[in-house]
Amino acid sequence: MSSAPSTTPPANGTPSVSLRSLTKVFGGSTVVDALDLDIESGEFFSLLGPSGCGKTTTLRMIAGFSDPTSGTILVGGEDVTSTPPHQRDVNTVFQSYALFEHLDVRGNVGFGLRRRGLDKATLNRRVSEMLELVELGDRGKERPSRLSGGQRQRVALARALINEPKVLLLDEPLAALDLKLRHAMQAELKSIQREVGITFLFVTHDQDEALSMSDRVAIMNGGVIEQCGTPEDVYERPTSVFAAGFIGTSNLMSGTWSHGAVAISADISIPAPGHQGSAEGDAVSVAVRPEKIWLSELTPEMFRVPGTIVSTTYHGATTRYLVALTPDLTLAVLEQNLPRMRAEERWDPGDRVEIGWLPEHTVVLT
Amino acid sequence: MGQRKLERKPVFAVVVTVLFFAWLYLPILAVALFSFNDKKSLSTFSGFSLRWYDDLIHNSALLDSLVASLEIASVATVGSLVLGTMLALGLERVRSRKGRVIGAVTLLPLVTPEIVTGVAALLLFTGVGLKLSMTTVILAEVTFSIAYVTVIVRGRLAGISIEVEEAARDLGCTPFQAMRLVTLPTLVPALVGAGLLVFALVFDDFVLAFFTTGVDPQPLPVRVYSSIRFGVSPAINAIGTLMLLGSALLIVAALAVPRWIGRGTSSLDLITGGQK
Repeated sequence: MSSAPSTTPPANGTPSVSLRSLTKVFGGSTVVDALDLDIESGEFFSLLGPSGCGKTTTLRMIAGFSDPTSGTILVGGEDVTSTPPHQRDVNTVFQSYALFEHLDVRGNVGFGLRRRGLDKATLNRRVSEMLELVELGDRGKERPSRLSGGQRQRVALARALINEPKVLLLDEPLAALDLKLRHAMQAELKSIQREVGITFLFVTHDQDEALSMSDRVAIMNGGVIEQCGTPEDVYERPTSVFAAGFIGTSNLMSGTWSHGAVAISADISIPAPGHQGSAEGDAVSVAVRPEKIWLSELTPEMFRVPGTIVSTTYHGATTRYLVALTPDLTLAVLEQNLPRMRAEERWDPGDRVEIGWLPEHTVVLT
Repeated sequence: MGQRKLERKPVFAVVVTVLFFAWLYLPILAVALFSFNDKKSLSTFSGFSLRWYDDLIHNSALLDSLVASLEIASVATVGSLVLGTMLALGLERVRSRKGRVIGAVTLLPLVTPEIVTGVAALLLFTGVGLKLSMTTVILAEVTFSIAYVTVIVRGRLAGISIEVEEAARDLGCTPFQAMRLVTLPTLVPALVGAGLLVFALVFDDFVLAFFTTGVDPQPLPVRVYSSIRFGVSPAINAIGTLMLLGSALLIVAALAVPRWIGRGTSSLDLITGGQK
């Protein structure tokens, strides 16, 4: 890895969750590898990664369902590494919702408080408040099996939130919803988090979800955190080839570092003035986002290179072009279909074009 | 469930179905009918009478056997429910090859000819010097029924995500409380279904009862069999009719009660494959 991931947020008080060289080995393979992470109180933090990257295992270790092989878990500054789940001040929203089918909605939501021996009047009031918050005020007497997927999801959320845990763990809670509902729930989840102010640790493989909801995102791969930062950080300034490829799409070109530029072919060399830490002749990669590349209206400060349109794909709001710079180097370019553009102004395969992008959009990965 | 519409009337299928049910139920209806016959004849119905029911009430041997069979079935149901559920919960947690082997061995009683089980039980009981009585019948029936309970409960467990139990622990339950407050209540439909099935199987089980019963009181099927050797009394028709009525009521209850208490799905759906 090029740089140590910035897993420590600006310090203000005790972090909600701290992981110290947390490791999990399953049958000889290391699923989570010496993870260090601090999640600030009140943060909406996402663990983003492909399946099998260790994100769910990390979550299960924080919840207490899985014992770490080594390392420490602190919740609110308190070491809970060997505390059983029912004594941890964390609650989980499960991927399958895991609702109690033998109880009605109110029974489900009030379950945790009843375990704590809250008196009936307070319990009823808190359950009603929580049901209002998730907009299920009128469904309290329903059985979970009679609710829609979105409603079940809200019950699961309410059942966990009502306990006011130090941190709420969410294991791909939106994965089972259809696309439209998922978008609605993303916005709602975010606004609920703002309202209650509880730390959310959100596990997802959906980059769109992670980017749009989180204060910070950690990209996990192979049991380690590849990069951690704000959504803008991880999107605009990926620090590893994996991060650049996993979030959004990137044009990845490999080349050699030479005189402050990356030589990607015999006669194409992409300048990267800000890059440091590579020696002359080092093998490096260059990543450029398709939407940062211009096909027209190029300006003098841009890096410019000629190419040939190979294909065009119309996506409604955007058009995607594949542009060949050399016979074996093709870049994807995404262009907005702006109101002033007419169909005949778009490019066709075979057209000779000049493409370009601003130097700050060249990301060098080592 | 399946709402496929057929384009033309399936005449053949309807005829076969009617014949099938006639073949299945007409003999049973005959038994019920002749239990009200005022003569001893089993071929001509000469008039309505309750004399065989009156006979039955005064036949203490038959009544004793009925009570004995009800006792055997009740105790065996409870016993096999407890043991079978424990076995199912245990097997659910042993997801290794060992667990699959144990699971397969559990199913053996379902395919072992009952006469083999019966002879084996008899040999065992006499071998260890256990006097044949209602206790030995119950022991044999419990052994035999555990497999049914385990199969049904495991079927239901497979449909419950392990996350449900984790959710309970997440919300403040110890593992034992999670079992008591969440897992077992969720299993209630399966337990009721398995209980009904085992009760029905044990209540009229002949083979095991025949091999393992003592002299007095004999389980009802054994008693009926031995009394038939001296000629069929319509009193047996009467007891048969009462049993038919009893099991019909039981099935109706099993279907209706879960709906009344708002559970939505019936325990019998697990056996019949209806609903979810």
